[in-house]
Amino acid sequence: MSQINRRDFIKAIAAASSASVLTIPSAHAGHTKGRVVVVGGGYGGATAAKYLRMMDGGIDVTLIEANTSYTSCPLSNEVVSGERDIKTLQVGYDGLKKHGVNVVHDWVTGVDTTKKVVSTKGGKTFAYDALILSPGVEFAYGAVEGYTEELANTSLPHAWKAGPQTLMLKKQLEAMPDGGKFIIAVPPGPFRCPPGPYERAAQVAYYCKTHGKAKSKILILDSNDSFSKKPLFEQAWKALYDGMIEWVPGASDGKVIKVDAKTKTCFTNFGEHQGDVVNIIPPHHAGKVAKDLGLATFKDKWCEVKPESMESKGQKDIYVIGDSCVGGELATNNGFPKSAHMAMTQAKVAVGAIIAKMNGLPLPVPYYVNTCYSVVAPDWGFSVVHVYRVENNAWVYVKEASGISPVTMPDKSPVPKLYRKLEAEYADGWLRNVLADAFA
Amino acid sequence: MRRKYTLALLACLGLSTLPALADDSTEALARTCNNCHGVNGVSAGGAMPSLGGQSEAYLKHIMLEWKSGERAAASMNRLIKGYSDEQIAGLAKYFAAKPWTPNTQKASADVMARGKDVTDKCETCHGATGGQPDDETIPRLNGQSAMFMHLELDKYRDEAFLMTHKKMIKSARKMEEGDVGIAAKYYGNQSK
Ligand SMILES: Cc1cc2nc3c(=O)[nH]c(=O)nc-3n(C[C@H](O)[C@H](O)[C@H](O)COP(=O)(O)OP(=O)(O)OC[C@H]3O[C@@H](n4cnc5c(N)ncnc54)[C@H](O)[C@@H]3O)c2cc1C
Ligand code: HEC
Ligand code: HEC
Repeated sequence: MSQINRRDFIKAIAAASSASVLTIPSAHAGHTKGRVVVVGGGYGGATAAKYLRMMDGGIDVTLIEANTSYTSCPLSNEVVSGERDIKTLQVGYDGLKKHGVNVVHDWVTGVDTTKKVVSTKGGKTFAYDALILSPGVEFAYGAVEGYTEELANTSLPHAWKAGPQTLMLKKQLEAMPDGGKFIIAVPPGPFRCPPGPYERAAQVAYYCKTHGKAKSKILILDSNDSFSKKPLFEQAWKALYDGMIEWVPGASDGKVIKVDAKTKTCFTNFGEHQGDVVNIIPPHHAGKVAKDLGLATFKDKWCEVKPESMESKGQKDIYVIGDSCVGGELATNNGFPKSAHMAMTQAKVAVGAIIAKMNGLPLPVPYYVNTCYSVVAPDWGFSVVHVYRVENNAWVYVKEASGISPVTMPDKSPVPKLYRKLEAEYADGWLRNVLADAFA
Repeated sequence: MRRKYTLALLACLGLSTLPALADDSTEALARTCNNCHGVNGVSAGGAMPSLGGQSEAYLKHIMLEWKSGERAAASMNRLIKGYSDEQIAGLAKYFAAKPWTPNTQKASADVMARGKDVTDKCETCHGATGGQPDDETIPRLNGQSAMFMHLELDKYRDEAFLMTHKKMIKSARKMEEGDVGIAAKYYGNQSK
């Protein structure tokens, strides 16, 4: 190394990387540049583990994930309506193993930040030089009186983590009579997938409309006073499902504070609403492992990180990505949305920073992008885009590149149907590509 | 030559574990495109297009048209406004340098036979299989996502959707409605 200068070194790296992503052989055992442990094999963690190996075969990567198969939340609302087979959302970890990731299925119980060791329920320990946490969210069931984890798994599924609960919710919808009421209770923001509850309402309405249950009602009891892509949702609800979906904002007593599972009744401060299907989305916060470490310094819920690297503001060499972290332009209400797309770009920033550090190179420029598609009917989709730049160690929301799909054309004429059809198709293409980019 | 020399030197030194970090930031920016367009710009399917191996001129041209607002898109026209012209040029160069990797999608014998006729008029510009573009303003179609191409043809055909290339617009609008999907599948099936 001493015989070549830094510029040549970097040129060689660039050449090597453009030839093929897999040209860099892994280091011999015992000769690694560093050990990275990744906790959580969802969109964030899987992407991080894969890209670490793909970009630098000299790094030893262990991914610790509780489950042997992952179910994508994105597009799981289409499973509820019967428009998608849940199998299209499921993926295993063989792809990551092929990249040389050491995949361990276990539950992380704690981290010793002094000794830099992660320990698991299975009694194993893993030493790290850098630790990436992507544990998703932990639900605060107690925040809605009467709601419990057991109820979620048996009779009142939240289905805010895709899997068996998604299928249970689908069954309950199928059993709902025409003229029935489907209640969705939305927690105070920020929550995972800001447009998700409203997309779910549309998918439920689509099911009802196409299965002889058009007299049914979907009642959204919201803790908040506005929501993501509101004008686009309201336009679509009206055009496709007129009169079926009612949204009650927090200011109009929409916040659900208590539920009675037996009678399927939701209680707000001043009212009560009985439903045939009750879908409570409980409030949530950073994943347990991150919260236990004391990293959730933002409102005691979310983990603050450094814009240039995704490294925790509280702990050196610990990087928190995905739903557990908080960032973006918080002051102007343009914080990072908790999305799979965002989790993946954050993972790539963290990986770039870790690799640079382990190779003694300067930090690369961090790029943050989000795109979130919502599908309200098979031929009707739309999206929101968020682009952030990092300036003076702070996130800057790039307005001109961000925002929602058009609600009308610039001359106020209606948006041609083709636009909506395109984004419904692109949503499916996006899903296939993010699954591949993270797990294959 | 010099690059080769450096690589050889590194190999001699046993430095086989190089990280894939380029000095400039194009590589890092391109990794955000991978979410939708795949590693090396090879799409994993659905309606997302592959980018790797399209000509630099084509890629750059269309991104700049989105940025200026001359050309419509469903998603890309927003996202691309976040990047400078230099970054866009860098991205075009980056993806153009990757190999074109056709994803041959299944199509019935009927569709292929019909597709050959339907695309007869397209051959002068795109070549017999869509894989021999006549010049660098023309994108490769062989093994591109069929769903993507179908939707692109819909864009060219829809008067309310702002597209710019007059000849391509004219070609697409001359097609029979039922032939659009067939042409897309025909090209999507091609390996070369
Ligand atoms: C209905 C719905 C629709 C959505 N739609 C979209 C969409 O269209 N687009 C979009 O971009 N996003 C969407 N999202 C959001 C998206 O699912 C999340 O933002 C994304 O999954 C976050 O990734 P993550 O890696 O932070 O967490 P997760 O994907 O939740 O992964 C966390 C993983 O960590 C594991 N884990 C946690 N703690 C431990 C531990 N201690 N030990 C071992 N393993 C552990 C868990 O088992 C899990 O597999 C949607 C979400 C929902 C609920
Ligand atoms: C959220 C998904 C998404 C991301 C991220 C994304 N694209 Fe795209 N891309 C699309 C879609 C959808 C289209 C089809 C055009 C449209 O938006 O209507 C497309 C089309 C393209 C095309 C045209 C391909 C052709 O053959 O006509 C280019 C070039 C392109 N994208 C470049 C990029 C680059 C460069 C990046 C990274 C800076 C990027 N894209 C990031 C979704 C994405
Ligand atoms: C005069 C030359 C010409 C002819 C003839 C022609 N094309 Fe094209 N085609 C182009 C060019 C140039 C583009 C890119 C135009 C642009 O920038 O919008 C293109 C774009 C396309 C695309 C979009 C690909 C992408 O990556 O976005 C498809 C699909 C396509 N052509 C199919 C066809 C079919 C099918 C026919 C015949 C019915 C045809 N073309 C005839 C020149 C031609």
